[in-house]
Amino acid sequence: MTRSKDGELRDTALSDRELKRALAVTWSAPPGLWGALSTVDHKVIGRRYVATAFVFLALGGVLSMLMRLQLAQPEARFIGPDRYNQIFTMHGSNMMFLFAVPVMQAMAIYFVPLMVGTRNIAFPRLNAFSYWIYLAGGLLLWIAFVVDTGPDVGWFAYVPLSGPQYGAGKRADVWAQMITFTEVSALAIAVEIVVTVFKQRAPGMSLDRLPLFVWSMVVTSFLVIMAMPAIMIASTSLILDRLVGTHFFNPAEGGDALLWQHLFWFFGHPEVYIIFLPAVGMVSTIVATFTGRPVFGYLATVMALIATGILAFGLWVHHMFVAGLPRLGESFFTASSMAIAVPAGLQIFCWLATIWAGRPVFKTPFLFVIGFMVIFVIGGLTGVMVASVPFDTQVHDTYFVVAHFHYVLVGGAVFPLLGAIYYWFPKLTGRTMSEPFGRWVFGLIFVGFNLTFFPMHILGLQGMPRRIYTYQPEMPWSGLNMFISLSAIILAAGFLLFFIDAIRSARSGAVATANPWGASTLEWATASPPPPYNFARLPVVDSREPLWTEPAELRVAAGLGVDRRELLITSVAEAVPEARESSVGNSIWPLLAALATTVALVWSIFSPWAVVWGSIPVAVSLIGWFWPKGVPEDES
Amino acid sequence: MKREISHSNVAFAAAAIAIGITSAALGWLREPRELRLDPPVASGLDGLRLMPNGISGTPPESYFALGKPYETDAYNLSQGKRLYAWFGCPACHGDGRGGAGPSFLDGWWLYGPEIVSIVASIRDGRPHGMPPFRDRMTIEQIWQLAGYVQTIGAYTPKVAAPGRDDDKQTRPAENRGPAKILFDQGPVGVHPDQGPSP
Repeated sequence: MTRSKDGELRDTALSDRELKRALAVTWSAPPGLWGALSTVDHKVIGRRYVATAFVFLALGGVLSMLMRLQLAQPEARFIGPDRYNQIFTMHGSNMMFLFAVPVMQAMAIYFVPLMVGTRNIAFPRLNAFSYWIYLAGGLLLWIAFVVDTGPDVGWFAYVPLSGPQYGAGKRADVWAQMITFTEVSALAIAVEIVVTVFKQRAPGMSLDRLPLFVWSMVVTSFLVIMAMPAIMIASTSLILDRLVGTHFFNPAEGGDALLWQHLFWFFGHPEVYIIFLPAVGMVSTIVATFTGRPVFGYLATVMALIATGILAFGLWVHHMFVAGLPRLGESFFTASSMAIAVPAGLQIFCWLATIWAGRPVFKTPFLFVIGFMVIFVIGGLTGVMVASVPFDTQVHDTYFVVAHFHYVLVGGAVFPLLGAIYYWFPKLTGRTMSEPFGRWVFGLIFVGFNLTFFPMHILGLQGMPRRIYTYQPEMPWSGLNMFISLSAIILAAGFLLFFIDAIRSARSGAVATANPWGASTLEWATASPPPPYNFARLPVVDSREPLWTEPAELRVAAGLGVDRRELLITSVAEAVPEARESSVGNSIWPLLAALATTVALVWSIFSPWAVVWGSIPVAVSLIGWFWPKGVPEDES
Repeated sequence: MKREISHSNVAFAAAAIAIGITSAALGWLREPRELRLDPPVASGLDGLRLMPNGISGTPPESYFALGKPYETDAYNLSQGKRLYAWFGCPACHGDGRGGAGPSFLDGWWLYGPEIVSIVASIRDGRPHGMPPFRDRMTIEQIWQLAGYVQTIGAYTPKVAAPGRDDDKQTRPAENRGPAKILFDQGPVGVHPDQGPSP
């Protein structure tokens, strides 16, 4: 063990065993509760994020089963109208803001640094802060629901229903402030991902060698950065209208109720792609691995991702076709809504070509991909239907729309996600999920999903509106509703089996090797689960499928310090090494800052003075967070 | 490594259980929003006992049994605000500043600020032009309206007070109170110490 002349310990001076021991000392969190609260390891935080998001999925699922119980027969009396309003609002808000977006970003927190071959995500403390803020927002929403203050204005909280005149109590404020929490956490992750991907890639991983999942997360992160400010402005304006009597949405004083819809959907439609694009990346990854060949049309797929991301901002108005728009607007947004089917279709054909040319292995992750294709294409077809104004006018706010977006969201995001969990579970936990269980899970969910949601198309065409807590026996809907409720039990059983399998496998599944599927991307080049430092020596990449082109031995970069947390900064396009950069150590301050922020935000539901007094603890915690330590982490 | 996970798991589980118990307790303590009272409970609300001069008194037992919802509950206050518009109160009392009738905003209560007095004023009417509403509104609605009227002139704003209307702003919203010190309401109706007494 020799030190270089400036006294630094470099990896070139160490044998593999010494290096791993030294890196473990540098990168590990202290044991116990303190370590758990102060860790900035992207893998620990990513795992926590995924687990929390799945808890929210389960809770949202319970709500949907309650709704199905109530709707199973006409004039049922299990749930009253007031509670039902809260339940459907909670279901939508929870699934969109606390499950779908965070879980996709959580997968990115865990896998993007591994896939680009670096040791931690960029801004690791911001990452920790993001998780605590997300958790606080989720707790705020659910505790409010338990104490009968759950939002009851629909997940998009249209004014004037959610405004000061009609939204009594603090219910709409809880919704709006929950938005603030989740958007802060989402924006934080988006920034981390962009910086990680653009500046921390393994040497040689030029942009055209980026794994497709990483590409999809980059595009998603840019969508988040551009879409989320719209909803933060909207929800903040709503709180101001409600609490201090501003007039953003008051037509009598020069405000505009329609402004809310524009602001919300300018975020809300890209939101759909914020959920869908990561799933697309997961599909590409799984398809490549289980057909044993690279995805057909890499360039076309990446371009389709980017095109989807850009088009996503040009079609929000199709949510507002019945709000009364100029004819030109209706025509334009009909055309742009239909246009988005082009990049989506392009990707589907790329995957089909990959499967066609490869040798598909029908393991559970791949089954979920097949299920995704079937369900998503059906959802896409109804999407093209509701993109046309006359048809949309007919089915707006009916169960047809409910069926459409569940096909798109569950088919387009949850199926790939479940496939991705089965696929990456070895890397997340070091153990493998059960294949026979997985087939049952897939079968139950696929069959249950279609039996549950397909009949909703018919109900919608028969005129059943969304968001009604009951219906009269004279309506021709009761038979189908009972059928749907019974089918939902199959779907729920599938998810239950999934959760059982996941928990059981995490405890006692078969121990996984580093690369159990024979996949091509860098996350499989390290142990399962990866050590705190991810890679003992950072890999060097010279192809798009590093583990397939050089299966025996990856080339590695040498010369990094091991005394401090150090990683490699590379250039944006070509990933040429530029600098050795320090990565921050563990800190409790992100948690304290998140607590202070939580107090300020929750307090501000009740009094505008919270913004004044509540900002003091926030400032104190941020000063503590950024206080210079005088240790090597600050020198670089 | 193993040890760390089990430690943090225990901590998280403990936190989750604590939060669960707290929320369940809060949920149990908190009354759900009552969209429509049981008829016997509602009719019990009619049984308030006033002092002989018609000022102040005792609310009915059922009011306490319900948890005194009409002064502090956001839903009831916002319902009261609607009733205030629907039943023509602005015709005499304006936006709270008064007109032919007395002002509420100035916090000067002819019959005292207790909710029973306000309920009695609305239900039975008062001299000098306040009509009785007992045949026009249900007793539950009268209580809701009374709670709202009390909010208009409250000396400190209620946490549950309604926000502004989607309408022309003529005065600060109820939750911005007390309105009296926030703006100059101009000349108000005649107080009894200045003119006719009730």
